[in-house]
Amino acid sequence: MRLLVIEDDETLRESLCRQLSEQGFGVERAGDGREGLYYALEYPVDLAIVDLGLPEVSGLDLIRQVREKGKTWPILVLTARDRWQDKVDGLAAGADDYVVKPFHFEEVLARVNALLRRSGGWASPTLSAGPVSLDTTRQELSVEGQVVELTGFEYRIIEHLMMRAGEVISKAELTDRLYDQDFERDSNVIEVFIGRLRKKMDPENRIKPIETLRGRGYRFALERNQSGQ
Amino acid sequence: MKSLSARLLLSVSLLLLVFFGATIVVLDIAFRKTGEQAQRHILDGHLMSLLAAADPNDDDVLQLPPDLPEPRFGNPGSGLYGELRDVRGNTIWRSRSMLGVDLPRTEPPTQGASHYAEVTLEDGTELMSLSLSVAWEMPDGDLEPHTFSVAESLDAYYAQIATFRRQLLGWFTAVAIVMLFSISLVMRSLLQPLRQIEREITEIEEGRRQALSANLPSELQGVTRNVNLLIGNERARSERYMHTLDNLAHSLKTPLAAVRSVIAEHPQSELGKRVETQVDRMNDIVRYQLRKPASYVAEGFGLTSVAVEKELRRLVEGLAKVYKDKSPDIVLNVARGVVFRGDRGDFLELAGNLLDNACKWCQSRVELHLRSAAGSGFELVVADDGPGIAEDLAGILLERGIRLDESAPGHGIGLAVVRDIAASYGGEVRIGRSALGGTEVTVTTARQSSA
Repeated sequence: MRLLVIEDDETLRESLCRQLSEQGFGVERAGDGREGLYYALEYPVDLAIVDLGLPEVSGLDLIRQVREKGKTWPILVLTARDRWQDKVDGLAAGADDYVVKPFHFEEVLARVNALLRRSGGWASPTLSAGPVSLDTTRQELSVEGQVVELTGFEYRIIEHLMMRAGEVISKAELTDRLYDQDFERDSNVIEVFIGRLRKKMDPENRIKPIETLRGRGYRFALERNQSGQ
Repeated sequence: MKSLSARLLLSVSLLLLVFFGATIVVLDIAFRKTGEQAQRHILDGHLMSLLAAADPNDDDVLQLPPDLPEPRFGNPGSGLYGELRDVRGNTIWRSRSMLGVDLPRTEPPTQGASHYAEVTLEDGTELMSLSLSVAWEMPDGDLEPHTFSVAESLDAYYAQIATFRRQLLGWFTAVAIVMLFSISLVMRSLLQPLRQIEREITEIEEGRRQALSANLPSELQGVTRNVNLLIGNERARSERYMHTLDNLAHSLKTPLAAVRSVIAEHPQSELGKRVETQVDRMNDIVRYQLRKPASYVAEGFGLTSVAVEKELRRLVEGLAKVYKDKSPDIVLNVARGVVFRGDRGDFLELAGNLLDNACKWCQSRVELHLRSAAGSGFELVVADDGPGIAEDLAGILLERGIRLDESAPGHGIGLAVVRDIAASYGGEVRIGRSALGGTEVTVTTARQSSA
């Protein structure tokens, strides 16, 4: 999942980005509204964290412009202005949730996960499809009740595929979302990780959770369990 | 005396009393003098006619004929009397009209002089008399002094004066009444602009107007300009103050967030834990102090009417996003015609905190009722179907910054802010159990602004 963090305070921005990266997110960062708007419109983004008090272009204007351009990914607002007036203005402009400064990182993480899950159409923090179940809060994958040990990259791939279960995700998109902007890209790496995931999740090749569509990409093929929704 | 018009009417009445009083006295004196003068002329005429009619008889005694040209001398009780005395004071002739009447004796004037006097008869009739002493040349050539006297009743004269006074008083009273009435009419129209200013200031206080209007008389333009300037300054000052507070919040909280975020990267550090505690404290202080109601600052200046229903809908739309997982059923029940005259931020703070708490704790349903209350205030009720709050804890919740459940951060501060805002609008907050089974918070305001 690729996040865009737009925050003008450098210490806060860098600290936030470091912690989000540690959680397995690909993170873009911007220090002012203009730069943030550029990233938001030109780069692939799954969720943006936007400070309302930004230089150049204000947070509210940025959110409005992003929504006007038809971007529907969730926006989490960081606000120092604690009054409801500001919260309501932010939500009305197109934000989906807010966190009031000074926040605990866990709070931001919880909101980010919830927003991502919701944008994928999942109502509960545990995504479950067939015998596969992904606990996004504990970052734990289990198949038929058995926990499957995953590396960071593997987790991010299965999370991305499961979040958008049923949709075809191109190799390029997966590469984009998994690497930071300036990382060296190699599409073969994705194939290797998909292969490893299949082996770990379905050693006997019974449930076939990930489908390969030649020339188009991958799809998480299991039917979502509706009970969680 | 508070009222300008009453003050003016009283002074004009006093002035009219003095001026008209003086005028009446002067006119009265002039009229009496003229009347007296006329009376004397008449007496002179009568005396002359007696002198012309007098003639010595054969005994060399001065006599008057029985039929005088003035018939009133011949009618008893006519009010006109004539008398002739000789040098010793003996009456040698008296007119027929003096039948039964005795003129009081007056000192005869010196030879050739006339003397006017006012005398009173026994029956109280006042008369004006004229006596003239003449030396009458008798046929034998002797000059014999005689005193001719005429007297006329003053009744007619007094009646004339009374009529004159009555008319004078009547006319002046009528003029005074007309004048006072016209003056009060003029005052009304003169004071109209002042009443307009008073009305407009009330409207400003109630938030229905931004400044005093410009179409006032030129004499009041200075006042209205200064009042408008004062209102503008006051508004700008409170806005600046709010702005400063807001900037302070923003500039303090971002570093606090940065500190907290950096500490979170070293969760095991003892120093980090201690700094974190202090950050929490600082944050609580800043949050509580900065969310004081705007009406504390604005003090009634420039408060506007808040479109409550529209604001509530925006709020509910926002909260629906935030609580999408729970998707509570939020029911708005706003009575027709309810307006909130005050700061928009204050209203959002009241409704936002209460609705947020209700959404946080509810199972699936939140209800908001807003209706007008006694006076110009309103009653805001927010109810949920959550677990509810125990009665003894309800009071504690309203204290500043106390949280009953740390798992729902900010709960206590929100309610304390609601309490402060309600208080600044002369109202109060009650916490009870709702018909839905959960908590019901009722906010009543007694008036619409703190002015």
